[in-house]
Amino acid sequence: MYRIKKSDIVNIAQELSKEYGIFGPYIDRDAGQVMFDRLDDLSQIDLDAPIPAIPPKHVIYPHSECILKYSYDPTAKKAAIERIHSEKPKALFGLRSCDLEGIRVLDRFFLGQEFVDEFYLANRKKVFIVSNTCVKPFAQCFCACTDSGPSAKEGFDLNLTELGDEYLIEAGSEKGKAFAEKIGLAKAGDEYKDKKKKAIDISLDLFTDFAVENKAWVSRVTNRVTTGFIKEEIWEYIGNQCFECGACTFVCPTCSCFNIEDVNIGSGATERIRSWDSCSYEGYSKMAGDHNPRKPVEDRRNKRFFCKLSYSQSKKYLRPGCVGCGRCAWVCPGDIGLPNVVTYIRREITK
Amino acid sequence: MTYKPGICTFCGNGCGHFLKIVDGRPAGVFPSRNHPVSRGRLCVRGWNIHELLSTPQRLTDAMLRKNGGLIKVSYDEAIAQVVEKLKKFASDSPDALAILASPRSSNEEHYLLMKFARAVLKTNNIGLDSESGHRASLEVLNAGTGFAGMLGSAGAIAGADFLFVLDFDITKQNPILGSELHMARRAGAFMVTLDSRTTQIAKLSDVFMMAKSGSNKVVIAALAKILIDEGLADSAYIQKYTTGFEGFANLLGSLSYDDINTKTGISIEVLKEIARKLVSSRRAMAFYPSGISGLDVETIGFLFNLFLLAGKIGINGSGINPVTGLNNLQGGYDMGVAPDVLPGFQLLEDPKAHAAFAKAWGADIPTKKGRMPYELLSEKSSKLKALVVIDHDEGIVRYADRLKELEYIVYIGAFENPFTEFAHAVLPIASYIESEGTYTNTERRIQLSAKKADPPSGILPGWRLVCELAKKAGASWNYASPADVMNEIAAVTPPYSQVSYEKLRKSFGIQWPCDTQNPNGTEYFSADTSTKKLSFYPVKADYSIPTVSTEFPYQLMIGKAQHFWHQNNLMRLTKIPLREYNTTLLLFPEGYVEISPDDAKSLGVREKWPVMVKSHAGEMKAAVKISGEVRSGTAYIPYFIQETISKFLLEHREVLARGEDATIPVKIEKV
Ligand code: SF4
Ligand code: SF4
Ligand code: SF4
Repeated sequence: MYRIKKSDIVNIAQELSKEYGIFGPYIDRDAGQVMFDRLDDLSQIDLDAPIPAIPPKHVIYPHSECILKYSYDPTAKKAAIERIHSEKPKALFGLRSCDLEGIRVLDRFFLGQEFVDEFYLANRKKVFIVSNTCVKPFAQCFCACTDSGPSAKEGFDLNLTELGDEYLIEAGSEKGKAFAEKIGLAKAGDEYKDKKKKAIDISLDLFTDFAVENKAWVSRVTNRVTTGFIKEEIWEYIGNQCFECGACTFVCPTCSCFNIEDVNIGSGATERIRSWDSCSYEGYSKMAGDHNPRKPVEDRRNKRFFCKLSYSQSKKYLRPGCVGCGRCAWVCPGDIGLPNVVTYIRREITK
Repeated sequence: MTYKPGICTFCGNGCGHFLKIVDGRPAGVFPSRNHPVSRGRLCVRGWNIHELLSTPQRLTDAMLRKNGGLIKVSYDEAIAQVVEKLKKFASDSPDALAILASPRSSNEEHYLLMKFARAVLKTNNIGLDSESGHRASLEVLNAGTGFAGMLGSAGAIAGADFLFVLDFDITKQNPILGSELHMARRAGAFMVTLDSRTTQIAKLSDVFMMAKSGSNKVVIAALAKILIDEGLADSAYIQKYTTGFEGFANLLGSLSYDDINTKTGISIEVLKEIARKLVSSRRAMAFYPSGISGLDVETIGFLFNLFLLAGKIGINGSGINPVTGLNNLQGGYDMGVAPDVLPGFQLLEDPKAHAAFAKAWGADIPTKKGRMPYELLSEKSSKLKALVVIDHDEGIVRYADRLKELEYIVYIGAFENPFTEFAHAVLPIASYIESEGTYTNTERRIQLSAKKADPPSGILPGWRLVCELAKKAGASWNYASPADVMNEIAAVTPPYSQVSYEKLRKSFGIQWPCDTQNPNGTEYFSADTSTKKLSFYPVKADYSIPTVSTEFPYQLMIGKAQHFWHQNNLMRLTKIPLREYNTTLLLFPEGYVEISPDDAKSLGVREKWPVMVKSHAGEMKAAVKISGEVRSGTAYIPYFIQETISKFLLEHREVLARGEDATIPVKIEKV
């Protein structure tokens, strides 16, 4: 364990920037919104800012990215294929623990199964992670119910916890430890363990009743979702509110669906683009010959909650598919973000 | 920081977003949580707009038609030819030249194009594509209130307690506005939908009236009649704020309750309930689509009058609200892109307005109002010879035969477009993120969109191209930037008089009127601050509805943009939205005709079976789509598969002109 004066925290980013491109939370001046993105001016990093509107997943799994280029020269009768990937070193600086859990879920999806997704791997390979404990939760947070916060337990290289005018810094990997030693961070004594525990307890107390109460409910709802004991009407009601916009997928730190398209860029060359896709879109689950296992919108909606809240899915991710960030509630035009869906289902259970 | 704040310019909502730019190329989107219209939401189109903006299918060279083919030439060469030809046709005869502007252009581009037409080419034959419905709205609203735009605003919807949705699949067409309606409904607002098809908003409504097709106007007139007969009209309000009540009240006399029932199929009790809810509400708002598939003037007139009777125009955010489908349709009208109006909806034939513009521009402008490009195209006897088209939409292909006869067609646009086949000259321009510009959304919000990427090498932004055309034609225009153009717009457009780029940069847009009384804009129209009395719109006592004969027993509805892809040409350049569009199109590659299960049974047809749809004037083949969403006796054909139905529709042009709920009597035969 190490510590650093709060006002010096940017020095760590500075040091990291010698080796890594720095991505961190900042407030966009024009729109007044917290974003998480590449920063050249490190003084813009704002570790106190509320959780960023955009989950950092886009850094390793971009909204759209070219993964392959190929071309055919008809006169020379030659084809050329070029695989596009980059292993640029990146540091995610000041990522919240829900978002770190999100990346860990994506890791299991893209890397931890039968096939390894090489493009994801390339983006993910040289990533240095500095997580940031939420010493107070934000209005929409419920990580306390989904076992993903307020402080990261693993998966980071360094983890920061604000304690008064200092940050406690824990190393979670050899890489993290080596870095901390290299830059000569001051050691923190054992008393800091207690201090951190207190800070987390205070944070947990600050979660809204909704989040705290829901703790048991998330698991009960998971039970229901898994066993299928949810009335059709509930899904139908939810389906009737859905705009099929895809927002809930795009803002979810754990959603991984993608689309692949070959785009002809002229003069015989083609780019293969991978981009975010969503289970809420009718075309997403459509198959040849007009078969669609999930044609009615409510079937597509319950699919989402099955993915976030069912045991079978949790087995794959080694945790619930929802990390409690609350973003889907922000962006849903139909107001059927995951917290609300849990509420609808629990209302049904209590009836 | 690769995410740059901006606005979505697909539809008239004008939602706020961030566009991700990587190596100068759009590569992602994210919603803007503080944006007052969208507050963190985007629809399927908005979430995928980067796919359009990064398409390689761009126009990147000026081209002229030589020996039958389009040949790449320099901008200068193309501009020189275009100007020479346009000047020649403009002086040929008043009807020889027309300019079809795009409801997607920025205000600055609109303004300059309009000025170029009037002050340089001396023609008033300029109009917007897909405009008919919105024009009808502005007509009624301007006559009734002097406010030629949506009376309410998006932010006021959540606080409404009475919502009336007319012929509007709002959650598909303008989803984020639809989301506000959802919210108001959940908060307890009483919601009424009038539609001939079942939409999501219809399912969520307290009352869904599936009136017989073509009877919308009668339903609205019936509500007005009930307000008067039941003593529910707000007489204090009528007295204080309005003129023309007597005339309107008299004209409702000829509508009988028996008639209402048989013509609309809606029970009087239901109508009475709605009337009571309307008058007892605090904030009542009506929404209907405005654009290619809008309502006609008479229906809008009745709606406006109904709301006046109820005391719900300009009180506490109440009013009727046309919703624009295309991002800058409102701005186009604000900028005077119409044959008979000047910026700020000032009438061209008003000598004072005319003189003011002639003076401001230091140029003569033709005094007689012009003609709509579509009118000139459809009128077989018109002397139209040359046409300028900006960013064309589907509609114009209806006139393919006529287009082939024209002597000269200029196409100006950012993206590849099948319409260039018809063009003699093609002038490429930058896309909206490659230049600064302002766009006015459906609730009159003027928003500045910053430049976020460079145009393809050598390509001019639209505003600069128009300047170059004007200069080549001998005008001494000297605009340094879009901000400069806005300064001139502010000087000549009363509702924009206090707008400046400086102000816009510091805001999420300003809702006009933005003048000395309202320097920060106006959220909604207020009867109290209105300078004139509100007047009942002079509608006609025509309560006839289309009747079916034994020969043609079905009412065919066309066009309602049930598919939110009414911007096909752009959608075709995307991937995911295109796929969504295709999920319908692939199933019915030749288009479909939607009929009720009962009708399918009596015709003896099943899903996807081919049928002939025949009217007195023409016929077409289509596949059957069976759905509970249309009532028996009604058949529905989506306009979006225009390739199939354009020929058929060509024979029924007058029906299209009548607006959204106009129908064609047809018979359907199994083949
Ligand atoms: S489901 Fe919603 S709350 Fe849960 S992780 Fe995804 S976006 Fe966050
Ligand atoms: S964000 Fe809401 S409306 Fe959009 S697809 Fe998801 S559930 Fe449906
Ligand atoms: S509602 Fe309109 S402006 Fe908003 S995201 Fe969708 S297309 Fe764009």
